[in-house]
Amino acid sequence: MKNKIQTFIAVAVLLSSTQLFGASFGTSSRVTREFPVDPAGSVWIDNPFGSIDVIGGEGNVITVSAERTLTAPDQLTLKEASDNVALSFEGDTKVRLIRTLLPPMRNARWTVTVNYIVHVPRGVNVKIGGSKSAEHIRVANVNGSVTINGFSGIVIMEGVNGASAINMVNGRVIYDYAQKPVARAQVQAVNADIDMFLPANSNFDWVANTINGDMLSTFNVKGGRFNGSVFHGVVGSGGLTINTESMMGHVAVLVKGSNLADAQSMRANEPAHQAVPGDVLRQPAKKIQLPFVNGDFVFAASVADVVVGEVRGNARIETGAGEVELGAVFGQCNVTSLGGPLNLGDIMGSLFAHTGAGDIIVRASRMGGQVTTDGGLVRVIYAGGPMTLRSGGGDIIVRQFSAFMDAETASGDVTLTGDPAQKSIKVTARTLQGNIVLNVSPRFAADIDATILTSDPEVNEMHLDFNGITIRREQVGNKTRIRATGKINGGGERVELYAEDGDIYISAQTLTPIRLANPK
Amino acid sequence: MPDCDSMRENMPLLLTESLDPARRELTHQHIEMCPMCVAEWSAYKETWSILDTLPELDVPARVKQRFLAEVSPASVTPNVVPFRRRSAPRWLAQAAAVVIIAGGAFYGGRRMTPRVELTPTPAQVTAIQQAMPAQAAYSIAESRVLPAASISPQIEGRPDIQNVQFTDATPSNDQIGVSFDITSHVTVTGRPTDKSMVRLLRYVLENEDKQSPSRSRAIDWVRSTYAHVGNPDPEITEALANVLRNDDNQGVRIKAADTLRSLQSTMTDGTRDALVEALKNDPNPAVRIKAVEALAKLARSGGTMDPDMVDTLRKKASQGDENVYVRVKAAEALSSIQPR
Repeated sequence: MKNKIQTFIAVAVLLSSTQLFGASFGTSSRVTREFPVDPAGSVWIDNPFGSIDVIGGEGNVITVSAERTLTAPDQLTLKEASDNVALSFEGDTKVRLIRTLLPPMRNARWTVTVNYIVHVPRGVNVKIGGSKSAEHIRVANVNGSVTINGFSGIVIMEGVNGASAINMVNGRVIYDYAQKPVARAQVQAVNADIDMFLPANSNFDWVANTINGDMLSTFNVKGGRFNGSVFHGVVGSGGLTINTESMMGHVAVLVKGSNLADAQSMRANEPAHQAVPGDVLRQPAKKIQLPFVNGDFVFAASVADVVVGEVRGNARIETGAGEVELGAVFGQCNVTSLGGPLNLGDIMGSLFAHTGAGDIIVRASRMGGQVTTDGGLVRVIYAGGPMTLRSGGGDIIVRQFSAFMDAETASGDVTLTGDPAQKSIKVTARTLQGNIVLNVSPRFAADIDATILTSDPEVNEMHLDFNGITIRREQVGNKTRIRATGKINGGGERVELYAEDGDIYISAQTLTPIRLANPK
Repeated sequence: MPDCDSMRENMPLLLTESLDPARRELTHQHIEMCPMCVAEWSAYKETWSILDTLPELDVPARVKQRFLAEVSPASVTPNVVPFRRRSAPRWLAQAAAVVIIAGGAFYGGRRMTPRVELTPTPAQVTAIQQAMPAQAAYSIAESRVLPAASISPQIEGRPDIQNVQFTDATPSNDQIGVSFDITSHVTVTGRPTDKSMVRLLRYVLENEDKQSPSRSRAIDWVRSTYAHVGNPDPEITEALANVLRNDDNQGVRIKAADTLRSLQSTMTDGTRDALVEALKNDPNPAVRIKAVEALAKLARSGGTMDPDMVDTLRKKASQGDENVYVRVKAAEALSSIQPR
């Protein structure tokens, strides 16, 4: 019993001490000010941390109520915070400027939140900026124009009848129209969801754009059409434009009283999607992870991360952006991405892979095919059939090719290693800025035609491990062309190499061939 | 240029690394600025490099005959005063006589002394004396192995290095090696964290001939080596940032950005700026992807995000003509940021 009491006291002391160590000091103060303003004047509010409520009403006076809350781990830091945070009220009757002033480099140990409640004449223009983090920014019953630029928080627009422009990064944007919209609204966000609630008899042209989210409405949207990822539709008889754009969130225009669950996707209403390059962004975003597909695998999404372990049939994948990873494909493989890396395993049928940007790695292309990226590295471990490899900028590396190899990059090195079991293979390799390295077995036979075009002939050279090749130099404008031609080991398939401002290496090496396991 | 002559006099000494650091730097700077001296310097280097490869040839008989004909007495012009042997001083003749007599006496005495024959006995090893490490004499022909700990981390001047190779002979220990050709083949060994090794790698990354394919290998090697080092030296990431900013080869820039992403822990302000700059302006979308991925990783780890970086990410996420994947990654990075 005595032990239990001692243990209890020890735990209590420990808990109280940890609470003491974690304690913080805080202070809160409230300021209220009144300023005259023209009924059609402007109010600018700049508040990095804290909520803002702007409420329209009658009269020609602005009433500002600001509550400043400071927290710090100790009294000294709290004092420092108090000295460094200032509320500023500037301007005249035409423009009133309300600001929270913070030092440019502040001590991260203290925090500040200033919550403003500002009552304004209904007709003023409101501009809110510099908001980094706000629980909410609310503007209500304002007939003037409203502009909000913030980083994160919930933006609520209630009964705003003037033109509005909102630009947010994270959070959420909610519009609640008290009456039919009479001025245009422009809402742009990166990660925020945008929801607009409008009266059922509203008339407007709706422009919506999202890549990762969806476009939803409970209105009867007419004349819907897509231009890339941008949707254009008409509600009622149309008229003013409501533009909603969120990169990663959803955008929705809803009849007041309805809810999001009842809304229809504008993408789903599209007629049967015919896959043509560029319109993949109409597809909704998806993420898929499958260990095994017993048959063909067909997939299309605007933003998608695709991981499939094995496809027993053909694979056809189309994405706007994302990473694609396929383990093994027994049939043909066709992967097109507008951007993102492709990681492909053992492809037994013919291969077509393209990405708008990113690296492409192919472990084995048994029948060969075409692999292209507009920018990125191309790495193929085993090429069993003829292959065409292209990069808009980036290295191309082939660990072993056994059939015709055609590799070209706008800028980067090309490194190709031939199958040592093959006596002769046709090769074409080009780089417009970089080096070419061709590794072959010492008994490799070919007709060599290698060219370097360089502005620095002292630096760029041919490095050839084979005899029987003639090297000539000639001046072409302000550049020097170094050309090596001849037959090695008696001649064979044509090997054509071209490098600008780089070296060419044809290296004779005793190579270890790659052997692939047979599929089960 | 007025000082070209003196600089050209320095070139042979520069070639053999015999100049003092101040003059070496001065000469290098002059060569970089003076096109004529660049040509001269290139010619020097080329001549130097082919000297070893040139075979020694006998003078052709025809040339030899012509040369002798040129210098034969028949060709001497009459106004040249004939050479006449002058009599040596008398004391010199006496000294020579003394030397001959003394030498003859020694030789005669040695011939008449009976020779002592020693019975051959098997050699026995009684002790092994530890060989003292000899001070490596400078030789342009030899290969030298230098421990990183014994060399200064300060690289003076801008030596022209070529044929850089990386070795990790024993992966189980923490020693790595970097070898290169300068005027001799030098291998520097040490730990990846040794300051001299860091400085050397930085020099390799920033100064090796830009067209060399080993530049790309150097970056690969840095990534694989320093991925296992807990807290790599910031100089490595700064060197990669310089490569990302300055290299013409897009493949090299892609690798530099990718390596910076993997060496996140030692990201400096300069490195972040280089990534932001690459995200803003690099024409290659793959470089921009690597840059935005690195910044997204930084944001996820709670790293410092300055306003310029946030602004760039914001613009990229909203930029309609940017690659969609870059936009998505920029948005992801923004979603991880907690404003402070």
